[in-house]
Amino acid sequence: MSDPLANIRTLLVLVPALPLLAAVVTAVLGPRVLKSRAHWPVVLGLGLSAIVALMLLAEVNRHSRNMAHDSKLAATGHVTLWRWTGIPDVLATPPAAAAAMEKAHTTPPRMLPFDVDVTLRVDPLTALMLSMVTFVSFLVAIYAVGYMHGDRSYWRFFAYVGLFVFSMTMLVLVSNFLLLYVFWEAVGMCSYLLIGFWYQKPEAAAAGKKAFLVNRVGDFGFALGIFLIWITYGTLNFHDTTLSSGGVLPGVLGQIRLGDASLYVPGGLATAICLLLLVGACGKSAQFPLHVWLPDAMEGPTPVSALIHAATMVTAGVYMIVRCTPLFGASPQAQQVVAIIGGLTALLAAIIAVTQTDLKRILAYSTISQLGYMFLGLGTGSMLGISAGMFHLLTHAFFKALLFLGAGSVMHALGGVIDLRQFSGLRRKMPVTCWTFLIGCLALAGVLPFAGFWSKDRILAAVHERAHAVVAGYHSSFPVYEWLYWVAIGTAFLTAFYTFRAFFLAFCGPERVPAAAHPHESPNTMTLPLAILAAFAAGIGLTLEAGSWFDSFLAESPSLAALAAHETGPAGSHLHVAVLSTVVVLIGIGLAAFFYLGERTQIDRLAMWLRPVYEASHRKLWFDEVYDLLIVGPLRILAYLLSLVDRFLIDGLVNLIGRLPVWLGAVLRPTQNGLLQSYALAMAIGVLVLLGTLVLF
Amino acid sequence: MNELGLLENMLVVGALLFGIGLVGLCARRNMIVMFLSAELMLQGVSVSLVGWSRFHNDWGGQMLVIFIIAVAACEAAIALALLVTLFADRGSLDVTLWQSLREDNLPPHVDIEVPEPTDEEPHWPTLTPAGNQPRVDAEKQRHRTHV
Repeated sequence: MSDPLANIRTLLVLVPALPLLAAVVTAVLGPRVLKSRAHWPVVLGLGLSAIVALMLLAEVNRHSRNMAHDSKLAATGHVTLWRWTGIPDVLATPPAAAAAMEKAHTTPPRMLPFDVDVTLRVDPLTALMLSMVTFVSFLVAIYAVGYMHGDRSYWRFFAYVGLFVFSMTMLVLVSNFLLLYVFWEAVGMCSYLLIGFWYQKPEAAAAGKKAFLVNRVGDFGFALGIFLIWITYGTLNFHDTTLSSGGVLPGVLGQIRLGDASLYVPGGLATAICLLLLVGACGKSAQFPLHVWLPDAMEGPTPVSALIHAATMVTAGVYMIVRCTPLFGASPQAQQVVAIIGGLTALLAAIIAVTQTDLKRILAYSTISQLGYMFLGLGTGSMLGISAGMFHLLTHAFFKALLFLGAGSVMHALGGVIDLRQFSGLRRKMPVTCWTFLIGCLALAGVLPFAGFWSKDRILAAVHERAHAVVAGYHSSFPVYEWLYWVAIGTAFLTAFYTFRAFFLAFCGPERVPAAAHPHESPNTMTLPLAILAAFAAGIGLTLEAGSWFDSFLAESPSLAALAAHETGPAGSHLHVAVLSTVVVLIGIGLAAFFYLGERTQIDRLAMWLRPVYEASHRKLWFDEVYDLLIVGPLRILAYLLSLVDRFLIDGLVNLIGRLPVWLGAVLRPTQNGLLQSYALAMAIGVLVLLGTLVLF
Repeated sequence: MNELGLLENMLVVGALLFGIGLVGLCARRNMIVMFLSAELMLQGVSVSLVGWSRFHNDWGGQMLVIFIIAVAACEAAIALALLVTLFADRGSLDVTLWQSLREDNLPPHVDIEVPEPTDEEPHWPTLTPAGNQPRVDAEKQRHRTHV
């Protein structure tokens, strides 16, 4: 084969094309032809897409192994599908005038080039994301066949899921900030559609709106960040572009810039760009202070919660920050902010999760908390931290999807009841759900052999290392990372506690179900994905950890290669971190067992004793109330005032314009009186006027 | 009389006929009178046509007038037939009775009402008789009040 990357390129296009095709087929044929078979195109499309993505992963792996060290940066396949726009770097003033201005020591106004190539590209980071997204989507789609069975708009669900997977795969594939933004919005829209899937339910409609609006805040920051990148770097493409004039325009994340870190603008500008990008990431990945939409998003169907609001879409922010690592590398301050936001979010969400009674809500807060961990890892700015963040992203996708699907299974069995106060002791009725859920809990809590342990431990180690590392060009009198390390340890304890609290409340204790429900084990289409995900949740951490394949593979990504080259040697032993986190986690589980296994009398006493803390946690730290007071309220008042202006001023003007012809008509109307003689008179006068003008002029 | 003077006279007569017809058409309410006025206007035009025809020594104008007279005769027949039907419809030929083509929301035009003829004897102002009492013919007197 002449082109060694030809394989990769074909696979690259197939990965997003298959879900799109499936979505279109479902949308067109679903309501009339397929009806209750509407899941087939999407399940097949996603399955094939997952296989293609895994092949792509293998192919990329093979290539990056074969590459010599020098050409590692080139180990990336591009497919430029078409050029959407290519406005060249032209002078706004004619060259002669520009030359004259330059002589007079004034710089002529310059137009920036605006190139947007619809380019798909692949590197290890993308390949990993693609495999995870398509694989988890495939399992969730299978699960949804059972879960959504008999729903009124069965086909609509699968069409949305197909559209979402298309958008998400494109989001990780595109090689341009503008297109990244487009698909960023597209996944947001799919999320909105799927949260409000049961739009007849007012809570679901409101939750969809809330998610959409809160995301707008983040997207606004993201858009500003993109503008700033364009003004600063003169392009939005990730890759280097060959200009028609023969020169090469260095892309933001292209090989030219990656090869020479000094090409990245340092200082305040870099910090501004990174912070604006971070605002966008905070919106999408539900980080403090924009995390309020995710818990409400649980109103959507549970497979959606598992797929979009736990495993895939919410990791888009993490992906974006990893992709922009070189930009963040230019600004240690911004990295510190990322770490602080991550740590804070992890802790706050964990505190809130401790007292929630809705199983899905607990999982939602735990998702926020785990995403906080990922941000914390990225915020260290070291290769160790970033690869730990990505590692956690992967493991989290599996075990959190597992937990959500388990919760969905419980909901399915109990006829939609998910409040932990209304049921307990389900382990006998639902053994498969119970055991897979337990594996998910162990992974989430971070117990030794399970996935969550390895990735969380890596993040803790990275933060610990950063706290004690001397970073050139960065001095802080306040030991931020030291504090964040302890915050992360505290969060690990809380995570273990609330996870097992939920498990014990749901599956242990006396068997108790709502009167109307007839609990039963879920059908095979639901338990099979649970089992597969459980296997991954149990094993993927150890598999990837062993042999350190993950680190070296991820380091082949162009965005990370430069950073990885700087990293000196392997990370030092961090056994004490692992021991500390394990001890903390075991204490957390032990406390949960002490309080929630058995009589559960102690916990009420504890809650009474810690009344203010309990109340704060139970009320979600009053985030919604504060936002209502500070933002929603004033905006409502403003909207009311504007509606008055609209109703009276604007509508008044419009009505006036409408009335004017009526009034004018009333002036002329009496001439049409139906009397023959008045018409004759008018004619005579008209003739006279004509004659008069003829004679006079 | 020279030709120009003749033309002038004929045009003046034509214009007078046309003007009298126009005023009659606009002022009278009886449809037959209006129709007559319209005929008058037509004849006014005809007279001026004849005048010009003579002035230019061209028979075309007079030919046209003959046609106009023929057409006017047909037109008169049709118009009279219409008038008969209209009279049968309303029992009157007052043109203000037909004004349904006005704007919907305009009130009907009411002209000055002609007082209804009454049977009772009007009260005439009387002067103190002076000189010889004229001989009053009762039948004649009654007729005068109806003019």
